[in-house]
Amino acid sequence: QSLEDCPLDEDEDAFQALGEEDEDIDQFNDDTFGAGAVDDDWQEAHERLAELEDKASSSREPDGPVGNDGDVLGDPEDALAERLTRLVIDSELEDPAIMQAVHTRDPPQPGGLNSSIWDSSAVLRRIRGPLLAQEMPSVSVLDYALPQRPLQARDEERDPSERALPRRSSSPIIGSPPVRAIPIGTPPKQAAIPNFNQQILCPKPVHIRATMQQRYPTPYGERMSPNQLCNVPNSSLLGHPFPHSVSPVLTHLQRAQLLGGAQVKLLPAGRMSPSQFARVSGLVGSPLPSVNPKLLQGRVGQMMSPAGGFRAFFGAPPAPPPSQLPHPPGPGSHLQNLRPQPQMFRPDTTHLHPQHRRLLHQRQQQNRNQHRSLNGSGGDRGGHRSSHQEQIRKDPYANLMLQREKDWVSKIQMMQLQSTDPYLDDYYYQNYFQKLEKLAAAEEVHGDGPKKERTKLITPQVAKLEHTYKPVQFEGSLGKLTVSSVNNPRKMIDAVVTSRSEDDETKEKQVRDKRRQTLVTIEKTYSLLLDVEDYERRYLLSLEGERPALMGERKQKICDMYDNLRGKAPGQDRPSDDHFMQIMCIRKGKRLVARILPFLAPEQAADVLMATARNLPFLIKKDAQDEVLPCLLRPFSHVLYHLPLGTVTSLVQQLTNLPQSAAAPTNLHLTAVLQNKFGLSLLYLVLSRGEELQSSDTNTELMQDNQWTELMLMATRELLRIPQGALAKPVSIPSNLISLFSRYVDQQKLNLLETKLHLVQGIR
Amino acid sequence: EKHLVLLRDGRTLIGYLRSIDQFANLVLHQTVERIHVGKKYGDIPRGIFVVRGENVVLLGEIDLEKESDTPLQQVSIKEILEEQRVEQQAKQESEKLKVQALKERGLSVPRADTLDEY
Repeated sequence: QSLEDCPLDEDEDAFQALGEEDEDIDQFNDDTFGAGAVDDDWQEAHERLAELEDKASSSREPDGPVGNDGDVLGDPEDALAERLTRLVIDSELEDPAIMQAVHTRDPPQPGGLNSSIWDSSAVLRRIRGPLLAQEMPSVSVLDYALPQRPLQARDEERDPSERALPRRSSSPIIGSPPVRAIPIGTPPKQAAIPNFNQQILCPKPVHIRATMQQRYPTPYGERMSPNQLCNVPNSSLLGHPFPHSVSPVLTHLQRAQLLGGAQVKLLPAGRMSPSQFARVSGLVGSPLPSVNPKLLQGRVGQMMSPAGGFRAFFGAPPAPPPSQLPHPPGPGSHLQNLRPQPQMFRPDTTHLHPQHRRLLHQRQQQNRNQHRSLNGSGGDRGGHRSSHQEQIRKDPYANLMLQREKDWVSKIQMMQLQSTDPYLDDYYYQNYFQKLEKLAAAEEVHGDGPKKERTKLITPQVAKLEHTYKPVQFEGSLGKLTVSSVNNPRKMIDAVVTSRSEDDETKEKQVRDKRRQTLVTIEKTYSLLLDVEDYERRYLLSLEGERPALMGERKQKICDMYDNLRGKAPGQDRPSDDHFMQIMCIRKGKRLVARILPFLAPEQAADVLMATARNLPFLIKKDAQDEVLPCLLRPFSHVLYHLPLGTVTSLVQQLTNLPQSAAAPTNLHLTAVLQNKFGLSLLYLVLSRGEELQSSDTNTELMQDNQWTELMLMATRELLRIPQGALAKPVSIPSNLISLFSRYVDQQKLNLLETKLHLVQGIR
Repeated sequence: EKHLVLLRDGRTLIGYLRSIDQFANLVLHQTVERIHVGKKYGDIPRGIFVVRGENVVLLGEIDLEKESDTPLQQVSIKEILEEQRVEQQAKQESEKLKVQALKERGLSVPRADTLDEY
């Protein structure tokens, strides 16, 4: 009875159907987590493990075989399962085989391309009897793909013999980001640890079948000797957590691989924490009921030579008696002082901040020294162990994370920092540190102080690779698939701009549109401005040949900007100020103008100034809320320095709106100007400039001189007239105003002016 | 190595950092939640903490030597909780007044924490 057939009111039936479904679900559950997998109660196992740890820390029998403790473990399989998955393997993401697997995107085929590392470590499987690798069906779970990692950090650690296929150097062919069956987040060797922990602790482990990916294409003889295999940090390893109910029989090939890839950290004898277990038991490979991790631990002290260990193992019968389980020598010793072999575990700390790295190394050094001194006295294994134990006793939970795990996490984080254009992506960070470095360099030049290490975290930089997207194609099919993805976004909506007809619009709308247009113009001009400002940097970075082109571009952009400002009206002689005014009405526009002014040619800049002066009252009115006009003062003053007298004169004219017809009693223009901070300051600036020119320039034209004088007379008259209270407070008062005014007025009036305008310093 | 973690909800946790991952999920061991009020602080032992990465604001290592010389004074848990309660109350009241004042002027500033959690 299917679920649909059961109407809701027929509760019984519904329940039954549900029950059936539940049963099905239960069945699956069982298979994965349940009875099908492991009989044991995970809680028990957990407790036992915890007990074990306590016992271990108190027991001091490093060599003691396992007999008594063996039972404590109870269910080594579970432990083993977990441990096996935590086998330290390769540099995960970089392994060519993995990448290979990724790129082909084929479902993993037995004996095929896919990496066995992933399969093995990620999967628990059930093995029955002599069922061996070859019969393992492939696992689809592991059909994940990894993005190509350009990091080359671990190149030297690769095992050349394991490269089944040449590595790809380009990104995945397929445009879309590769699909990951296992989310990127999971740590590699313990790819399933997040999943697994739950599974292992659950009574029944996952029942996914995996291919025993053999990378054993080569017969044993051709492969690296166990010794070598041992030493290669990257060699992959099959770790199969097997349920204890099964006694798998591994071919010696498998075992070889297992052992070969294993990197074991020598365990301090006393330490029985689960994480340690993983490494030890993982090596064993075959999670036989008789396997006793404790036994293995016991072997720690023995330090069998790698070769011997392997051979012993290989010689062992399929159901290896515990006593013969050698402890595969760990090529990387926990503290690197127990094995004379070249260390493997030199953690990759390049990504760490230099200061951090220093601290870290210091600590490591200290530890090592500590141990060395301890070991020196002991000299034998016992000595080592005791030192280990001491350290462990201080903090039994320390080092829960393997160095690899840490490296892995930091690798991910560094990956995130990769950028093809750090200037673009990370402007503030880069700039900040550039400034710091400059400071430091400057300091260095001055003094001979100790060089402070202000090095920054060097973010990885990746060359930009151009990827042309090739849509996925299947052979033999017609046409192309339309698949949109991150790398190849597809247009979803067709947004069409429809311009409305003039008739329909109301006045308001027109105004609004006009304002919008102005805003658009401002934005466009702003981008031009930013580009222009950036040219200097690009100039420095570019090659010789490119520079003229860059300069040309820059000039063009500047012209464009100016056009935008003034409103492109090529036909007219005198473009109206209207456009400019619109821009100036908007706060951003004013700031834009201020920033553009330095780039403009003098005539253009003067033009802008004129337009501003001409319309100043209007602008002042509009600026009442924003009060951003003063920002224009500085660029204006720069411009002023380059202006000839004639221009200055006209400027004053504009500003003061003089001469004016006699009919107008008050000069509203000038009043407005004077009453505004910006206006007054600008006026002062202009006057000051004029005075400068007047006094310094010997051969000014008479005409201009006259004009100037006339203007000044009028201006001073006006200034005298204006009540003092109405005057604004200018930003700055140029010092030569007194001399200016003194030319045109008598002493009395001069005094008046002085007081009114606070020209004399100290009055304020 | 003890670490100090500041969480988004303002809690301060101190513990031995055991494990991390790329999302900044943290596993803290022997964690102690430290409440600061003014110059006093109080510790509440919490045990093992697993913190989800998105709630971590910052994390730093505690220099064990420097840890001992702080100007802060440690008080009992009850006391510090009481102090905290008082502080919270005071804050809430002032906040209420502020909001009231703003409302009268026609402005309404959305509270930061409500924004945060949509």
